[in-house]
Amino acid sequence: MPLDIDRFAHVMSPLQRWDPRVKLASLGVLVICISLVKTVPVGVMALMSALVLVALASLPSSFILQGVKWVLVFLLPFLLIMPLSYPGEPAFHMLGLPFAWEGFRLAVLIVIKALAIVLCAYAMFGSSRFDISMIALQHLKCPKIIVQMLLFTYRYVFVFLAEMQRMDVAMRARGFVKRADRRTMQVMGDFVGTLLVRSFERTERIYKAMLSKGYQGEFHTMVVFKADGKDMVKAVLVISGAVLLLGMDLAGMFKIAEQGWY
Amino acid sequence: MHISDGILSGPVLAVGFVGTAIIAGLTLRKMDIEEIPKVSVITAVFFVASLIHVPIGPSSVHLILNGLVGVVLGWRAFPAVLLGIILQAILFGHGGVSVIGVNTLMMGGGALAGYGLWQLRHFVSMGRKEVIFGALAGGGAVLVSGLILSLALVTTGEQFNVMAGAVLLAHIPIIIVEAFVVGAAAGFLARVRPQILAGGNTTPLADRTPA
Repeated sequence: MPLDIDRFAHVMSPLQRWDPRVKLASLGVLVICISLVKTVPVGVMALMSALVLVALASLPSSFILQGVKWVLVFLLPFLLIMPLSYPGEPAFHMLGLPFAWEGFRLAVLIVIKALAIVLCAYAMFGSSRFDISMIALQHLKCPKIIVQMLLFTYRYVFVFLAEMQRMDVAMRARGFVKRADRRTMQVMGDFVGTLLVRSFERTERIYKAMLSKGYQGEFHTMVVFKADGKDMVKAVLVISGAVLLLGMDLAGMFKIAEQGWY
Repeated sequence: MHISDGILSGPVLAVGFVGTAIIAGLTLRKMDIEEIPKVSVITAVFFVASLIHVPIGPSSVHLILNGLVGVVLGWRAFPAVLLGIILQAILFGHGGVSVIGVNTLMMGGGALAGYGLWQLRHFVSMGRKEVIFGALAGGGAVLVSGLILSLALVTTGEQFNVMAGAVLLAHIPIIIVEAFVVGAAAGFLARVRPQILAGGNTTPLADRTPA
């Protein structure tokens, strides 16, 4: 699983060049609109718009697929359970269970919307450096303390990931094999405890190092944002697209087409 | 356990965001500058530790550890979970941007419940009670999270009732694993470095120095 979402932030594309503040705000509106869609055809259109956005960000498909794969694994139970458990008149019986098209439609809609939103998230955060995205969030009135903590946590995730992998190698070198038993759970508990003890000592050193560099509870940044006409044009395009999607959905433009579908 | 984008209704998503904002505001009160780096760094540890997989039967589950977050960070567990959920949404795309609120209420609510259960140990006197109450906190946190998740599904619509039941059932093995692992971790910390544990003394995390 890739932890460095901003691995391809250096690639030049219309999304990378877009002012991060305007980009996050506009795509945020799009995400909200997509999450409110209730019909499959509009969902499909949203998914296609999201695909266009990711293509514009020129992120490699292998990179995106790694994340999308997990979303699909998580949503698989919905595709299986929803059609067979929908209340009301079933269309037919499958393996003795009532199969309802409405449940199936709902499950398909859920999968499509989830994919569209995940792709939007890649377009949002995959096209700027992580720290710049966070500072942009702060400009968008995200509480300062949350932004600062996010930057910290992100910084140390990689440190502790490496630490955990070292400990894991050491444990396996001594012959430890994970099994489905109580002992494994006991060892994993001790493992997590050790990780915490080591990091707790580290927090102290980190804090002292920061104090000595003049930390007073504020982060200073040299990032300067500048939004020009082009940025605004992109914002207007995305937001009007988002509103159009939601409008079509609310107006029920595809209700009839969808009812004829099953 | 978390819910994905595209499932819950608009009102449920909105309740998630509003509830998270309120509770985060309350649990972030009186945070001094020393606590900011410390709580964030501990959050990074939990974020990484939740990637650990534990075999269970023929399959495996990843650790959640929201109970242990409560046991270590006390009230600050809620903002810690919020950070974890935001990072998960941004870095993995699972979880998802539109459900940050609901997922934080769910996992953070569990973490606070875990802290509450952990604090009950003060009313009991026996040997190795940290293991018992750590296990209670670990299992209880996941149970509460599962209940909140089911509630979110059921309030979205009755078509999700069966799904909500399935979700609760799927939580049972996770509750058992978490109870054992968090119990072991709490016992380990009580032996090795008790000042990491929350609610044992009156000094907050920031004022506790490693021995």
